[in-house]
Amino acid sequence: MYGYHGKIARINLSTGKISVEKIDEDFAKKWLGTRGFGIHTLLKEIDPKVDPLSEGNKIIYSTGPLTGTAAPTGGRYMVITKSPLTGYIAMSNSGGFFGAELKFAGWDYLIVEGKSENPVYISIKDDDIEIKDASHIWGKKVSETERILLEEFGDKHAQIASIGPAGENLVKFSAIMNNGHRAAARGGVGAVMGSKKLKAIIVRGHKKTPLADRQKFISVVKEKINKLKNDPVAGSGLPKYGTAVLVNIINQNGLYPTRNFRSGVFEYAEEQSGEAMAAKYLKKNKPCYACPIGCGRVNVISSVGETEGPEYESLWALGAHLGINDLGSIIEANHICDEMGLDTISTGGTLATAMELYDRGILKQEDLGDAPPLRFGNTEVLHYYIKKIAKREGFGAKLAEGGYRLAESYGYIDAFMGVKKQELPAYDPRGAEGHGLGYATDNRGGDHIKAYMISPEILGYPVKMDPHDISDEKVKMLILFQDLTAVIDAAGLCVFTTFGLVADDYRDMLNAAMGWDLSTEEYLKIGERIWNAEHLFNLKAGLTAEEDTLPKRLTDEPMPEGPNKGHVVRLKEMLPRYYALRGWRDNGEISEEKIKELGLEEYL
Amino acid sequence: MPKVKFFATLREITGKREEIIKGDTVEDVLNTLYREYGEEFRKELRERSMILVNGKNIKHLEGLKTKVREEDTISIFPPAGGG
Ligand code: SF4
Repeated sequence: MYGYHGKIARINLSTGKISVEKIDEDFAKKWLGTRGFGIHTLLKEIDPKVDPLSEGNKIIYSTGPLTGTAAPTGGRYMVITKSPLTGYIAMSNSGGFFGAELKFAGWDYLIVEGKSENPVYISIKDDDIEIKDASHIWGKKVSETERILLEEFGDKHAQIASIGPAGENLVKFSAIMNNGHRAAARGGVGAVMGSKKLKAIIVRGHKKTPLADRQKFISVVKEKINKLKNDPVAGSGLPKYGTAVLVNIINQNGLYPTRNFRSGVFEYAEEQSGEAMAAKYLKKNKPCYACPIGCGRVNVISSVGETEGPEYESLWALGAHLGINDLGSIIEANHICDEMGLDTISTGGTLATAMELYDRGILKQEDLGDAPPLRFGNTEVLHYYIKKIAKREGFGAKLAEGGYRLAESYGYIDAFMGVKKQELPAYDPRGAEGHGLGYATDNRGGDHIKAYMISPEILGYPVKMDPHDISDEKVKMLILFQDLTAVIDAAGLCVFTTFGLVADDYRDMLNAAMGWDLSTEEYLKIGERIWNAEHLFNLKAGLTAEEDTLPKRLTDEPMPEGPNKGHVVRLKEMLPRYYALRGWRDNGEISEEKIKELGLEEYL
Repeated sequence: MPKVKFFATLREITGKREEIIKGDTVEDVLNTLYREYGEEFRKELRERSMILVNGKNIKHLEGLKTKVREEDTISIFPPAGGG
């Protein structure tokens, strides 16, 4: 078998037992990698109704076949577990260098189960895996944790995935961080590590991924790298301005969510755009492992010196979403989120919910004591509450539960802008209705990266579609994006490659690595299988069609101003067609025929 | 006369964020810009650029033939992506 080591590790933190298991080629052909391996494990091994923060939940750290190879962006790994935020599946991936190193150590994936009594970390030196005491790093921020562990490990090339104080304190939207600023961010995956008292995993490896025909693989990969380098977006736009170039684009298109999605136009967008950041703070760009694109930002601000980010999403969540106009403070807030191990999107989203409650007089200053007023535009809010959330101190303890639970506790759920209890990202779907259908049907709840419909609806790749077209063609495009993204994720690549590559390019690289002869359609079938299996898990966890929905503001309140003035998301008109085109029943359940077609019978 | 807004690399080429340009259609305006800023500007717009009139993509209006009036804003972006 090529592309894989054929080996996985099962690490039980309750018993301390570590065992090695094998995977074979049939299994690899069925699930490909990362999300595929993860959902297989969850469906087979955990009760979908299990409390996500209990001993019964498991957490999988998985590579894909192209992780750790020369394939462009082949450095990614994925964390798959049951989310404490949504109660459904979480599959969060991260770039940087951790994923590649895990693969170098010879592991396709790790299953961590049980729960330790005391803080521990997992140390991996190629075949040797040990569970070690972490009491001396418990409570430490991410950079400090990485520094101490690296020193202890004695090899500066080792890579670390760890949680900050937020994960330890079971913040429902805490992240798993690597390389300081790279995050498997969404769904509260950090809290699952925290609940298991697992502070970090440190890994160093020296193995090459076996490849069917190394020379052929290299020549295919070279061709794809050239394609990316010559692409105007992947080759020059992203390296130059980073993802934040979108601030002005999305704002000019009138779907830049402002003050908790009250508007799609932010009056200060220009001052916190990618252009502004590049002019004022940018030192250089920074790529992840084997990435020819290099969208990452290294910025310098006086308060913390050199830092990385914020990316477009974080910049928005801690800026326009809160009505805040102070780029320096936003960059610093992003830095604090990274240090504490917090998902920036949900951090901003939760604060935006709180601000709306405050604005409406539902949340009162007396609930906050002398803490800063949660007023839209109040920059003071950022640093103060982010730290409080991570430590669950004062009102931070309430915020740490996420926007949904906060709004619910005040009896005003409409202040929560999210799906399946997860906060929405930086696009108001009243300006891109297919993207809205994507939010409503995403297996991990409010999310943009598992089917980035902004690409066709706004940016025009691979074709330009009218953002207000809701025909079957649009719905089919969403389904294609969901399935293709599952393939790219499972391969171990970054979705930003889609700006320069098409489905056939992924097929070429995968076939060359594995010596397979699968067609693009066959790979998309794997993507479809992954998507359906994840949906199946959610159904078993209690998902109903009522939760495939959007906040009322987006379906019932017309956009008040800007280019999309008067528009809502016509979700009710799209959702039944989405189910039908997926081969699902009217109530969102998967039909027997579909289950059979995808070979999912054994998971029912 | 319509107002033209430049973004990303187009700002570096023109040295401006915005400019008032004469013209009755998007095409007129672009031709003036090509004359003024030359090949470098034209190259940036060759593929996958985005042109909006009052926030609406001209691909869903009348393309280059889209009419523009005095009070209109034309936003021009070079190829870009993110997420
Ligand atoms: S495109 Fe950006 S996020 Fe993706 S691998 Fe490259 S540097 Fe990392």
